[in-house]
Amino acid sequence: MEKAEIQTRVIKVISGVLGTEESMIGEKDNFIFDLGADSMQSLQLVAGFEEAFDIEMDEDKALEVQTVDAAVDFIAQYL
Amino acid sequence: MTYRNLTDTEITALEGQGCFCSDWNEVRVRPPFSPGAIRNVRFEGQVALGGLDGMVAPAGAAPRPAGLYSCYLKNCEIQGPVYISQVGRLEGYLIEGGVAIEQVSSLVVEGQTAFGNGVEAEVLNEGGGREVLLFDQLTAQIAYLMANYRHEPEMTAKLKHLAREYCDNQRSERGVIRAGSYIRDVQSVRNVNFGPHTRACGARLLEEGTIASCAEAPSVIGPGVIARNFIVHSGATVDSGAILEKCFVGQGVRIGKQYSAENTLFFANCEAFHGEAVSLFAGPYTVTHHKSSLLIAGMFSFFNAGSGTNQSNHMYKLGPLHQGWLERGCKTGSFSYLLWPSRAGAFSVVMDKHSSNFDTSDFPFSYLTIEEGKSVLTPAMNLFTVGVKRDSEKWPARDRREDPDKLDLIRFELFSPYLAGKMLRASEILQTLYDEASREQKYVRYKGINILRLLLKTCRKYYQLALKKYYGEQLIQRLEGRSFDNLQALREILRSEQSGTDNWVDVAGLLAPAAAIQEAVEGLKGGRIGSVEQLRASLRAIYDNYEAYAWAWYIHTLEQETGISIGQATEEQLTGLIREWQASALKLNNMILKDAEKEFDLNSRIGFGVDGGEEVQAADFVAVRGNFEENAFVRKLRAENEEIGKKAVFWAGELERIFRTT
Repeated sequence: MEKAEIQTRVIKVISGVLGTEESMIGEKDNFIFDLGADSMQSLQLVAGFEEAFDIEMDEDKALEVQTVDAAVDFIAQYL
Repeated sequence: MTYRNLTDTEITALEGQGCFCSDWNEVRVRPPFSPGAIRNVRFEGQVALGGLDGMVAPAGAAPRPAGLYSCYLKNCEIQGPVYISQVGRLEGYLIEGGVAIEQVSSLVVEGQTAFGNGVEAEVLNEGGGREVLLFDQLTAQIAYLMANYRHEPEMTAKLKHLAREYCDNQRSERGVIRAGSYIRDVQSVRNVNFGPHTRACGARLLEEGTIASCAEAPSVIGPGVIARNFIVHSGATVDSGAILEKCFVGQGVRIGKQYSAENTLFFANCEAFHGEAVSLFAGPYTVTHHKSSLLIAGMFSFFNAGSGTNQSNHMYKLGPLHQGWLERGCKTGSFSYLLWPSRAGAFSVVMDKHSSNFDTSDFPFSYLTIEEGKSVLTPAMNLFTVGVKRDSEKWPARDRREDPDKLDLIRFELFSPYLAGKMLRASEILQTLYDEASREQKYVRYKGINILRLLLKTCRKYYQLALKKYYGEQLIQRLEGRSFDNLQALREILRSEQSGTDNWVDVAGLLAPAAAIQEAVEGLKGGRIGSVEQLRASLRAIYDNYEAYAWAWYIHTLEQETGISIGQATEEQLTGLIREWQASALKLNNMILKDAEKEFDLNSRIGFGVDGGEEVQAADFVAVRGNFEENAFVRKLRAENEEIGKKAVFWAGELERIFRTT
């Protein structure tokens, strides 16, 4: 899958979980500090990415991902 | 003890020292006796005086010469050297040696009393039906059975009968103030027994109670306390204006700062300050520290109440007859609210205000929040938070009980068959909910709670991770400390003589197979258990057999869940369990580390660096909080990770050696 497509899907998931408009989400944004995700929303993001890409991510490594572009790179490893 | 009458010379000396008695024949003394240390004392009724020579050094007070000064004594026996000064009325007591009593208005026994034993506390359900008899041998487990096993009416009746029998044996018209006690500045005491080394200073009113202090763990009753119908146990402290009515205060409990409680049981190591408890069953380690926190009609243990925690137990219908249950290890966030009846699974965190009734006991380690106006459960979320890890390690370290006879039976294991069983069940339920849910659904409902459909699969995975950790951990714990040089010896170690198919229960701190508890219940019903002492022994035997029960459960469950028959397992199967333990334990610890890291992130620095910019903020934060890398908890967890790696290598090597050389 192309990186651009991964990014589009990642942003769609983030928007769905955090209720932020897709246009307001930047690739350098930090989930916590820029997008305001709390601990439970972090879990929802992991679950959302797994469902959107039909993958199973490594539990602890997934929670280490801090930014949108890092999420894109991380997910790319599973595809 | 042999006493004699006073001689005329002694009576003359006493009267010369301001003493009075309408009939000196009623005052008897034990030789050797000298009246020198008795001044301004009015005697009435039958009084027996032991020797008043030497010094008295009561609990927590400076030594002083023995003697009786400015007091009124009626129907008392003083067995040894004591210091009694400025006591308005001291009546009906046997006072052992080494006791000091000063500046007390009234300390009396009136009529026959059981000293708080036999009082019924209406716990859990304010509407009644779960009364627990207070007595000084009450344990968390006995209270649990008495309150909660009402579906066993025969057992309940027999248990109450045994307790009542014990309480009746405590009945007397004479109270006891045991050796080494110190009672000072107390306003009024009626029908209270004082155990050895009690320190009661500044209390306002104590009525119908027993203070079961002991030399190893003195009990302390402090300033401003008002207590009626109570048992206070060894090592407990009740002070600073606490108000108790029909309460049991267990070993090592601390209550104070104007806490108010009625019809409540506090078991080992509870702490209650500022707030209020009504009909509360506070199992071991229930902690509530803040004002505006009301704990009512609930069962808790290993619990921490956030400020303003509150629950409702009635809906203005048939009365306050609802009850709730937060299983061991739960926490409530500030101003959280629960509407009883509800039940939350072990080690769950309750945040926000919940006005629906739910039962999440199938889902341990969860978060309960409000989202879009609904009560929402995030299962397994609390498996990888700093709090659970810290709590589970701190409880055993904070066991304040110094009494050689520990009443409550407490298992501290975080991962036990009780919780592993629940995680297995949770995994099954989440799988079923996932299979049945449509992708269009945002939430699924289960027993009154909403779970985000998106999380069903992920949260199941976290439970599975914890179970893998548990499976390997149990194997390693079994092998550790046991020697085996060949395969046959190894298989012998891994064998179990017990059946392990049973569900487990948490009996107010005692983790045990349900069948073992039921056996005790049957023992009570059938008469095999015929006294409180025998019941305690029977429960103690269950406690002592924990390891064997847990291993049997493990063997059965492992075979059922993974197909591995531990007694016949191959090298690959055993090393596989260890590899999975290593991987899952490291993952969980790393997730906990990630959670700990949040305590040092930018958001955590808000509030630091007053009057300065980012540099000042960073410097202030480091000065006050330190940095992540050097944090004691972080370092400990990292050291644990290293240890996990070493252990895994060691045991894999050992197993290889045994299998290859046999």
